[in-house]
Amino acid sequence: MRSDVIIETRDLARYYVLGGEVIKAVDGVSLKVYRGEYLSIVGPSGAGKTTLFNLIGGLDRPTRGKVIIDEVDISELDAYELAWLRCRKIGYIFQTFNLIPTLTALENVALPTIFAGVPRDEGMRKAEMLLKSVGLGDRLNHKPSELSAGQQQRVAIARAIVNDPDIILADEPTGNLDFQTGREIIKLLKELNRKRGVTVIAATHDLKMIEVSDRVVFMRDGRIERIERMGV
Amino acid sequence: MGEKRITFRLSDAFRLGYDNVRRRFNRAFLNVAAIALGIAFFSTLSLTDAILRFNSPKESGLVIEGYQYGLVLVSFVVCAVSITNSMLIAVYERCREIGTMKCLGALDQHVLKLFLAESIILALLGGVLGFGTGFLALVLVCIFMGFRALSIPPSTLLLLLGKVTLLSLALSMLATIYPAYKAAKLDPVEALRYEV
Ligand SMILES: Nc1ncnc2c1ncn2[C@@H]1O[C@H](COP(=O)(O)OP(=O)(O)OP(=O)(O)O)[C@@H](O)[C@H]1O
Ligand SMILES: [Mg+2]
Repeated sequence: MRSDVIIETRDLARYYVLGGEVIKAVDGVSLKVYRGEYLSIVGPSGAGKTTLFNLIGGLDRPTRGKVIIDEVDISELDAYELAWLRCRKIGYIFQTFNLIPTLTALENVALPTIFAGVPRDEGMRKAEMLLKSVGLGDRLNHKPSELSAGQQQRVAIARAIVNDPDIILADEPTGNLDFQTGREIIKLLKELNRKRGVTVIAATHDLKMIEVSDRVVFMRDGRIERIERMGV
Repeated sequence: MGEKRITFRLSDAFRLGYDNVRRRFNRAFLNVAAIALGIAFFSTLSLTDAILRFNSPKESGLVIEGYQYGLVLVSFVVCAVSITNSMLIAVYERCREIGTMKCLGALDQHVLKLFLAESIILALLGGVLGFGTGFLALVLVCIFMGFRALSIPPSTLLLLLGKVTLLSLALSMLATIYPAYKAAKLDPVEALRYEV
C-alpha cells in the first residue's frame, strides 16, 4: 500500500553560520507533496528554493526537521541508500543544465544508468529512445557545447528520467532560457508529469511558468508564505 | 523498495576516463609528457647499463654510477609533483561535473575510481612513450658515436619494459591519489554552487 504523500517535510530547517551571523536559508518548512502532482515553488532570489531541493534530494543535511520520502525518513539512510535515492528515485534538472561537457548528448543521458547498474547497451538504447522523445533524435552525438540552451535542457530532462524516477526536482529549469524556449521546457515537464505520473517539483521566480501547476508554494526568507491551488 | 544497488563497473570507469583523456587532451598530454620524461630518463640509463654490461669488457670499468640513478629519482619526484599539481587544477575545473555525478547517484568511491582509472591510462601512455623515447635517444647516441652491433638480450628488454610499466603506474597513481581523494570528498552542494 503506497500512500498518497510521496514527499513530506516536517519543520525542515537549514541554517548557515557565516561570520558569526546565522542565515536561515530554510526555516521551518512543513510541506506535503502528493504523488503525481506538479508543484511549483515560487520565491525571490535567496528565498531558499535551492536549499530546500538539496535537503529533499539528500544532498544536504538539515539543521532541524525531517524529510520523508515514501514513508522513509531519509536522515536514516546511509551513503549507499542516499545515492540510490538520487540515482533511481529522483531526477534532477538544473538551471545551468550541468551536462558533462566531454560527453555526447547520448552519453550524458546514459550516465545515470551506469550507476544504476543497467547493462551498457540497454542504457544506451534507452537514452536514445528518450532523446528521440524530447525531439533530439538528430543530435545524439553532439557535445553540449554544440547544442543550444534549450536543447541542452532537453538533454538534461532526458537524463533526469532515464532511470524512471518517481520524482523530478527541477531547480529553475527555465532560468537560463528565453521565454519561448522556457515555455517549451515547462510543457515537456508537464507532459512527463501527466503521461508518466512523475511527481514534478519545479522552482522558479517567474510567475509566467506556473500555470501548469496543480499547486504553487510561495516561499520567502526560508519560509512558506502561502500555498495556492491552481484552478483547472 | 527492492534491491538498492549502486555500481560503477571498472569498464565504465575506464571508458569514461578514456573519454576524458581524449577530449581534454591538452591537459592529459602535460601529464603524459611528465611521466614520459621521467621514464625516458630512466629507460636510457637502464639501457646504457645493460649495453655496458653485455658489450664492454669487465675490466674497462665503464659502469653507471649510483648518483645517476639518484638523478632519476629526483626527476621522478619532479614529475610526480607536476602531475599532482595539474590533477588538482583539473579537480577544480571539473568541480561541477563531479557534483553533478554525485547528484546522479555516484558514490565517493566511484569518483575515486574514475580518477584512478584516468591515472592508469595516463601512466600506460606515458610509460610507452617514455620507453620509446628513451630507446630512440640511446639508438641515436650510439649511431652518432659510431657504435655498432651492440646487443641487448630481448629478455632484458622485456624485463625493462615491465619495470618501466610498473614504475609509471606507481608514479602516476601515487601522484593522483591526493587529487582523486579531494575530488571524491567534494561536497556536491558546494561543488554545484561553484562557478567556473
Ligand atoms: N553555503 C552557503 N553558505 C552560506 N549561505 C548560504 C549557502 N547556501 C545558501 N546560502 C544562503 O541561503 C539563502 C537561500 O539560498 P538559496 O540558494 O536556497 O536561495 P534560492 O531561493 O535558490 O535563490 P535563487 O533564486 O537565487 O536561486 C540565501 O540567503 C543564501 O545566501
Ligand atoms: Mg536557487
